[in-house]
Amino acid sequence: MKGLQQIVAIAKREQKRMLQRGIYTFCMVIAPVVAFLFFTTLMGEGLPAELPAGVVDEDNTATTREVIRNLDAFQQTNIIEHYPDVASARKAMQRGKIYSFYYIPKGTTQLAISGKQPTVSFYTAASYLIPGSLEYRDMKMMSEYASGAVGRATLYAKGYTEDQAMAVLQPIKMEMHAVNNPGLNYSIYLCNTILPGILMLLIMQVSIYSIYVELKEETSKEWLAMADNDIVKALLGKLLPQIVTWSLMGLFCLLILYGVWHFPLHSGIWPMILNMFLLINASLALGVFFCGALPSLRWALSLATLWGVLSFPISGFSFPQMSFPAPLRGLSWLFPLRHYFLIYVDQALNGLPLYYSWLNIAIQIAFWALPILVLGRLKKFLLEYHYTH
Amino acid sequence: MMKMKWLKNMIEVWTYAMKNTLFDEGVVVFFVIVPLLYPLLYAYLYNNESVREVPTVVVDNSHSQLSREFTRRVDATADVQIVSHCQDMEEAKKMIHHRDAYCLIYIPKDFAKDVAEHRQTVVELYSDMSGILYYKAVYSSCTEVSLEMNKEIKAQLIPGATEQQISAFQYPIEYKYVPMFNTQSGFATFLIPAILMMIIQQTMVLGVGMMAGEEREKVRKHIASPYVIGKKPIEMLIGKSTVIFTIYAIISVYLVCIVPYLFDLVHIWHWQTLLAFMVPFITSCVFFSIALSSIAHDRESFIIMFVFISIPLLFASGISWPSSNIPIFWKGFSWLFPSTFGVNGFVRITEMGATLADVQHELNILWIQTIVYFIISYIVYKRTYGKQLWA
Repeated sequence: MKGLQQIVAIAKREQKRMLQRGIYTFCMVIAPVVAFLFFTTLMGEGLPAELPAGVVDEDNTATTREVIRNLDAFQQTNIIEHYPDVASARKAMQRGKIYSFYYIPKGTTQLAISGKQPTVSFYTAASYLIPGSLEYRDMKMMSEYASGAVGRATLYAKGYTEDQAMAVLQPIKMEMHAVNNPGLNYSIYLCNTILPGILMLLIMQVSIYSIYVELKEETSKEWLAMADNDIVKALLGKLLPQIVTWSLMGLFCLLILYGVWHFPLHSGIWPMILNMFLLINASLALGVFFCGALPSLRWALSLATLWGVLSFPISGFSFPQMSFPAPLRGLSWLFPLRHYFLIYVDQALNGLPLYYSWLNIAIQIAFWALPILVLGRLKKFLLEYHYTH
Repeated sequence: MMKMKWLKNMIEVWTYAMKNTLFDEGVVVFFVIVPLLYPLLYAYLYNNESVREVPTVVVDNSHSQLSREFTRRVDATADVQIVSHCQDMEEAKKMIHHRDAYCLIYIPKDFAKDVAEHRQTVVELYSDMSGILYYKAVYSSCTEVSLEMNKEIKAQLIPGATEQQISAFQYPIEYKYVPMFNTQSGFATFLIPAILMMIIQQTMVLGVGMMAGEEREKVRKHIASPYVIGKKPIEMLIGKSTVIFTIYAIISVYLVCIVPYLFDLVHIWHWQTLLAFMVPFITSCVFFSIALSSIAHDRESFIIMFVFISIPLLFASGISWPSSNIPIFWKGFSWLFPSTFGVNGFVRITEMGATLADVQHELNILWIQTIVYFIISYIVYKRTYGKQLWA
């Protein structure tokens, strides 16, 4: 009972410290809330529509104008300007006005009618990967369609029915199913991992800071004394208010993703609540581990920063992990966000039974063992270190 | 003699601040080590540029020569690798659920029969959406193969036709796709230039914030660095900002010239253009950092407040989510940061061969930011060092 009382007393002390310092409010409440709102509203459209594109129509016939009108009507493409030649369209691209342009050379219509197979082309600024590839898709579809329209007209004239004509023009057709994200919604694809990632980064840093600041203000002995110099109790008391706050923020994150934006949640909410809880605790555990493992807490903070920032690419939600060099694939096991992402894919996105995720769940729990390895060191550090800056 | 006094003062500040900076291991981490190592790490991570050989399973209900031909050709593409032929959809799904495959190609029973009897047949493709690049890989590979096979099937439909005639029949209008600047649509080429600019701004903000936080701690404890005494705020400001500028001028040469070269990223800039762009970018970052550092309360708090912002800022720059589709409110927010213009200008200069006139808009704003943040910095310095120390 005494142990529990001590923990509660330390937790109360910690709560008071957190409320006194603006930095805790900023990092634990304001920063995550603003970041959540930022990403979800930034990508609120899901798939960016009406991206600026240009046209160079040297032919300028009724047919080519029709093609351009149709292209403009595609959802992702918005023709904002006609350019007299390729050079000026290229210039507009270099100035960042358009992401792509469609080029129809002089004589295209005439050549097509006489069966001489003219060539049109489209250019995308592939440095901007997302808009570039979306406009590419529209322009390619438009080109297929334009070509098909001419072909169909020829066949209809010969008395083919529509089905017959399609069988001749496109005997084998591809039909794509984007499982569980049919609209190719970028927000679903990115926010589901970025939001928890921001939490993870802040959790690690705040936990280290909260321990660090005791050394700096020379209160670490007082803190440990409250737990009869028992480092486990001291840490539990200190982290308890943080766990509670982060859990609330984690639930808020899930509420935004699945309650407000209605992202796919095929597993029901409970596996994701578990997932979030595991991530929060694994991040805290890593934070404490870095504190104990490194000789200087300043270095601990730097390492947590590196770990936190690296978590985003290495978890593989944007650029898939299978294309990483092998050593980094191995290293990714040490990142809680990687496991969160995999659990999310199995659960919320694909709705598989929970046991599919057992390995990732087990590893998230195993992170809790890390602080145990350094408890002795950390205690010594807290009792003997003198802040010298 | 009076004229020389300010110069002497500034040199004194510069020398002290430079020494101070280089002997502060915490600051050196942000000013030197992170800019040196991060780009290498990222470049190594994205070294493969794109996704190749996505593991894919096939459910071939047609069991025909045509369907085997289709599968074989898809397997031969660079982006897709057929890892297994499954009996039915259940088995295939199971493989995807165990992450043994990410995509599924379903060939219907009547595939070959339909083609033989001149009916259109549909091949269904399924992609796991945990990554959009899987989708792209399987879709583009299968489409390419189908277009190629369609052409051959048509050749049989029009016996005796020449290659040219078949082609003209298939494509009355031929089309050609030209990806410009990042010709392989590589991921490293797309992301790393933006990350380089982000590194310049963010490491500077963190390092400067750390120094300012410490300075403020000392002021609270009434320990003033000796070099501060007798200096005007403006001399302090210019002396210190030139220290940061000097360090980052060197770091930037590494970041924008050596890193792209090492990793074979597109770098088609002219050095004059690059120089004329990087100077205002670094300068605006310097005064932005100093102005921002006025809220640094102590040495470390700044780190935990500003690291996470790197990720929203990368998105706000428009390199990933297109800037044409960023809501006006967040656009306004992004205008506060030099990185937004640094990223856009640099990407267009280094990858797209933009001239100085092409990035005029970005240049103008970087200069405006420089002036505004200089004024704010001056006010901050006047408040910090003006009263008690300048006698």
